[in-house]
Amino acid sequence: MRAIVEGSGFSLPNQVQDLLTLSISVIIESLPFVILGILLSIVVQVWLPEGFLMRFLPHNGVLRRAGISLFGIFLPVCECGNVPLTRGLMVKGFTVAESITFLLAAPIINPITIITTHQAFGFDNGILIARIVGGLAIANIVGWVFSLHPSQSSLLTPSFIAECRRPEHPDTKRHKSVDLFVRESSAIMPALFIGALVAGAIQVAVPRSVLITLGSDPLFSILAMMLLAFVIAVCSNVDAFFILPFANTFMPGSIATFLVFGPIIDVKMLAMLRTTFTTKVLVQMTVVVALLSALVGLVVNYVA
Amino acid sequence: MWRNVMHWRGVALVVAGLVATLVLAMNGGLVLYIHPRYIVFTVVMTLIALALVAASLFARPSHDHDPEPARGLPRLLSVFAIVAAGVIAIAMVGLPAATLTSATAVQRDPSGLSIGKEAQNVDSVSSARSAVFKKFTVVDWASLLRQTSDLSFYDSKPVDVTGFITADPDDPENVFYVSRFVITCCAVDAQPAGVPVYLENWGSSLKADQWVRVTGGFAANPSESSKRPIALHVSTIKPVERPSAPYLY
Repeated sequence: MRAIVEGSGFSLPNQVQDLLTLSISVIIESLPFVILGILLSIVVQVWLPEGFLMRFLPHNGVLRRAGISLFGIFLPVCECGNVPLTRGLMVKGFTVAESITFLLAAPIINPITIITTHQAFGFDNGILIARIVGGLAIANIVGWVFSLHPSQSSLLTPSFIAECRRPEHPDTKRHKSVDLFVRESSAIMPALFIGALVAGAIQVAVPRSVLITLGSDPLFSILAMMLLAFVIAVCSNVDAFFILPFANTFMPGSIATFLVFGPIIDVKMLAMLRTTFTTKVLVQMTVVVALLSALVGLVVNYVA
Repeated sequence: MWRNVMHWRGVALVVAGLVATLVLAMNGGLVLYIHPRYIVFTVVMTLIALALVAASLFARPSHDHDPEPARGLPRLLSVFAIVAAGVIAIAMVGLPAATLTSATAVQRDPSGLSIGKEAQNVDSVSSARSAVFKKFTVVDWASLLRQTSDLSFYDSKPVDVTGFITADPDDPENVFYVSRFVITCCAVDAQPAGVPVYLENWGSSLKADQWVRVTGGFAANPSESSKRPIALHVSTIKPVERPSAPYLY
């Protein structure tokens, strides 16, 4: 088919071609991380001894979530890989609030993210510190807010609740793993494809210059950076390199906001999280994370 | 039938992703989508995915505990999602790999707004020899053009650059950019960088998105509507094939 298309001299209009190129690029870039995330989820659900992760955690809710927010240090997985892993943690008995804490913190404090952010910015203007401290604080605050909800299971989609309640079948570990791979990819892959398509479409439709002209205003530059993070949907492992060239145009606080907000919330992530959390939860999470990351940016602008 | 679709949709999309990745890895096309430093990781994870897919095809399917099929609006939505994902999957496997076009360059500002001093620094190159400048890419020149519009700096410095044509939005008839995309991770974050070229009525012999090699020197931009004070004045211009690594890093 490829040969026929190439031979016919057929070409798509530029915008359609770029929409496809951008969407495919998001998929090819994310797919290895999603596979890695599914593998880790299989390890957590099938291969780790029962209660292994819980053993080391304090019982007090706040301290427990603080411990969970540090899990990501050992996991070089960026945000899209964390979605299947978070689902696995919930199946294994983490509360919704605890897994949200993990989900928000892990992409920011994963070792690759810290190394690339340090390579890009060093310790200039406190951007690296703001990212790590701000990201951990936001994850713990948002986790605490959701822990106050009286009915944790009402935060989840019915299909994911059904997944958690699947009866335990006596089965070989290998067969369970394969079965889990089929079910997790059915939940995550369509969301990844749709998220990639939406991210591509927004990028073709919204001129980048609109965002960049806002760069020099202390408040608007922060909003512009959140919008940019939202539409660009680039992995937390590499977003520091992406934003580095903008460091000349934008204030340091807005760069920090980009680096805190982007790994947690973007179009691709929302599409993938919708497999697990209700729309209401995602809206609330987006609003709270946006306000807190704007606050991180304002503090950096004020101090730097 | 519907149960089978719902059960296997994820594996099918993984297969589309890994077929596309492996084909691109073999014909060198992965660099059109991701930065070269991720190629090894991507290919390794793809091979692991291939093993998982193979294992899942040989294992007996356990349909008995799949959730009950949805009805009404939720079902309509999931049909829509599967169709949309399927279209992308088919495009991924079926269409030839492509670079981003001038449409995205215009949309993200072809002058290279985000290219800063990290590419080249005016002070450190001002006394360099001609041979150095001949090797400069459009990114190097875009970086210098952002730093100084002092004509004496560009005097007698030879320019020899390759890129694709993007029309200047302000004077599309007489000015175009020789442009390249700079990528840090993947095509999604591509930033255009371009050198403005003044060539009256260039559309009569060239067209947008065409790859060209241009030589010449910088001088004041005679265009009245273009916003760029300096433009490349052409000595030679000839169409070339798209390079095998079209993006710069």
